Amino acid sequence: MTATTVSPLRRERVRPAAPKARPDLRVVGEPRPRHTLAYALVLVVLVGAAVFGAVSLNALGAAASVEARTLDAEVRAAERDYAMLVAEVASLEDPGRIRSAALDLGMVPAGPARVLVLERNLPADGVVAEALHGDLGTDPLKPLLSAER
Amino acid sequence: MTEQPRRRFIRAPRILSRSGEQVAVRRIRWLLGIYGLLIAIVFAQLISIQVVDADDYADRSLRQRERTIALPAVRGRIYDRDGDVLATSVDGATIYADPRAYRPGETADGTPVPAAAAASEVAATLAPIMDRDPAELEARLEQDAHFVYLGRQLDWSVGEQIDALDLPGVAVLREPKRIYPGSALAAQVVGFTGIDGDGLQGMEAQYDGILRGRPGTLLLERAPGGLDITSGIRELTPSTVGTDLVLTLDRDVQHAAEVAASSAVDGFDANAATVVVLEVATGDVLAMASSPGYDPNAREQDDQDAWRNRAITDVFEPGSTQKALTIAAAIEEGIVTADTTMEVPDQVRVASSTFRDLYPTDEPTMTVGDIMERSSNVGTIQIAQELGDQRLDHYLRAFGYGSPTGSGFPGEASGMLMPHEDWWSTARPPIAIGHGAADSLLQLAGSYATLANDGRSVAPRVIRGTIGDDGRLEPVAARGGQQVVSPTTARQVQQLLERVVSGDRGTGSLAAVPGYTAAGKTGTARKPATDGPGYSDEYVATFAGFAPAHDPEIVVAVMVDEPTPYYGGLVAAPIFREVMEAALIARRVAPDGSATTLPAAMDHARAQALADAEAAQASLDEDPPPHGPAGAPLTPTATETGD
Repeated sequence: MTATTVSPLRRERVRPAAPKARPDLRVVGEPRPRHTLAYALVLVVLVGAAVFGAVSLNALGAAASVEARTLDAEVRAAERDYAMLVAEVASLEDPGRIRSAALDLGMVPAGPARVLVLERNLPADGVVAEALHGDLGTDPLKPLLSAER
Repeated sequence: MTEQPRRRFIRAPRILSRSGEQVAVRRIRWLLGIYGLLIAIVFAQLISIQVVDADDYADRSLRQRERTIALPAVRGRIYDRDGDVLATSVDGATIYADPRAYRPGETADGTPVPAAAAASEVAATLAPIMDRDPAELEARLEQDAHFVYLGRQLDWSVGEQIDALDLPGVAVLREPKRIYPGSALAAQVVGFTGIDGDGLQGMEAQYDGILRGRPGTLLLERAPGGLDITSGIRELTPSTVGTDLVLTLDRDVQHAAEVAASSAVDGFDANAATVVVLEVATGDVLAMASSPGYDPNAREQDDQDAWRNRAITDVFEPGSTQKALTIAAAIEEGIVTADTTMEVPDQVRVASSTFRDLYPTDEPTMTVGDIMERSSNVGTIQIAQELGDQRLDHYLRAFGYGSPTGSGFPGEASGMLMPHEDWWSTARPPIAIGHGAADSLLQLAGSYATLANDGRSVAPRVIRGTIGDDGRLEPVAARGGQQVVSPTTARQVQQLLERVVSGDRGTGSLAAVPGYTAAGKTGTARKPATDGPGYSDEYVATFAGFAPAHDPEIVVAVMVDEPTPYYGGLVAAPIFREVMEAALIARRVAPDGSATTLPAAMDHARAQALADAEAAQASLDEDPPPHGPAGAPLTPTATETGD
């Protein structure tokens, strides 16, 4: 137990080093104090800002999503109203309904038609023609079935 | 094998010889090894989940969260030629319920759950809103099922009322509902859809493929509670709206035709009446009316026989209306002209059959114009005898007999015209005068449109086009016609037909249209017996013609089934006049007939008003009422009386 076996490598490690030349010395300033706390605060602020930003963006996204869904519902309701109004207009324009309403109001069916030949154009003819071909004659509820409409 | 005991013997002293520090180090190493192993296992599992099977787990997660909502497509509208809506879709409310809410149950762990509400109370609440029988609703709510419909495609306002009640177990679903704003207007042409939106009849069925559109989907993520995950997936595949269809019908003309057909059924106690109106230049069907009609919005209450578009599906023997075609063929073949004079006896015998005129004349000779004007059977048969089977058959087929018109309407009949090789010895005379052959009213109208179009065939069509994405009409290609008879022949026949209406002995005088010249032909034909060979005692009255006679724009064909009386000139001709007058005015066709000047019309109106006033005064003088409605005397004062 007392005998110690030393390897050649170990022997080299314990050998005293040869004296070196004295290094050049110079005067240095007092080391700058480390602002560890500031770094930590900045880090906390950055992380906090990132988290806040992420949460805010998520909240904004959620709010926008809710708003989009509300608008979507409003659009759907408007489309529903439009479709029902189109149907209602078509129903009110039905010749049968108009005839029935006219009879209820006391009107009577027209007698035999009499066709007139005008000797000259009426003053209002041009006005009527313009109205029919202008924007006033366009029914927004109807598709464009020809260039004239 | 002999080494093992020796090694154990050697190691034992080594353990015994270790110090406590070495043992602790060794134990720590063992623990580190175990921890390392556990971490390796966890890490391996982590890799397995996050890398190897990541897609699988992601899919599983998504399947738990995502919901796909079907977005039904809005069915395309059907318009008339001017863009007036004939069929459209609106939101309807479908009411459904979970009957389990109305009977006590228990949870999975056996905890009893009372009924959320009494079915009778819920039914009593819903019945007045839905206009249903409470007992019927209660029976549905008490069914042993998880889902029952209480009502489908009700008005949306009904759904909103029920939704506001927040009844337990009852919910409202949005579902497209097809409505027909004009009710019975053009019902047999437009047709209708079923409860699931499938086209079942008429144009709704024929063009179901382009009207129905394509449904879309909305893919989104939902939390277990049913709330949408706002930051999750939201993929919208919008539904494609069905294509709008534009028919050639004119709503005003259609209404006039339906009123006329209905009045014919009522006025002549007829089985049915059918009217077809064609535009000569294009073959557009402006109206196709059948009476009795039905309301597609409430078709459950109507006879299914009324769903049929008789102008397309029903064939009948056209009777004398066909004489115009026979004579046109003879003129085209150079056998006769409009001015040819013929000896026309009271009767003519062909093989074993004898044919007579209904009203024989004392005049020994008649022109072809007279034959047409008086609708002479004998004269027409004599002309047909010159024409022969083959040429008569050829021209009738060229005018459209024996084949569908290709109007684009489902279930169109071809008519019946046997090949001339199969005609028996006495077949030619009856076929020449409109018996032994049958066609639909649309075919008859098409043949007259050919005569009106200077002999060039006109293919009737019901579809004008579709509405493109830009809201403009995309017209369907018009089918070209063929020259059946020359323009010269056609104009001769037009003049002959004008005599039928305006001639002194014309059978169609009641078809005269005020302000316009009209041309046409009456027809009266017995109906074939349904219980055996031969004919029955029932008749079909017809009239086909066009106006203005000198520049035809509109063709109207009328068929009245089993009227009383049964003559075409008495029954069908007045309907022709009524419908033709409405069509000419609706299509803004300039009058060419007996128009008057404004001063003359004013004089006439003034005289008429004066006569009416004098008659009214005379009536009051004879029997003056004591007091007016408010007790005032009815005698006019000096200021109220005019000159």
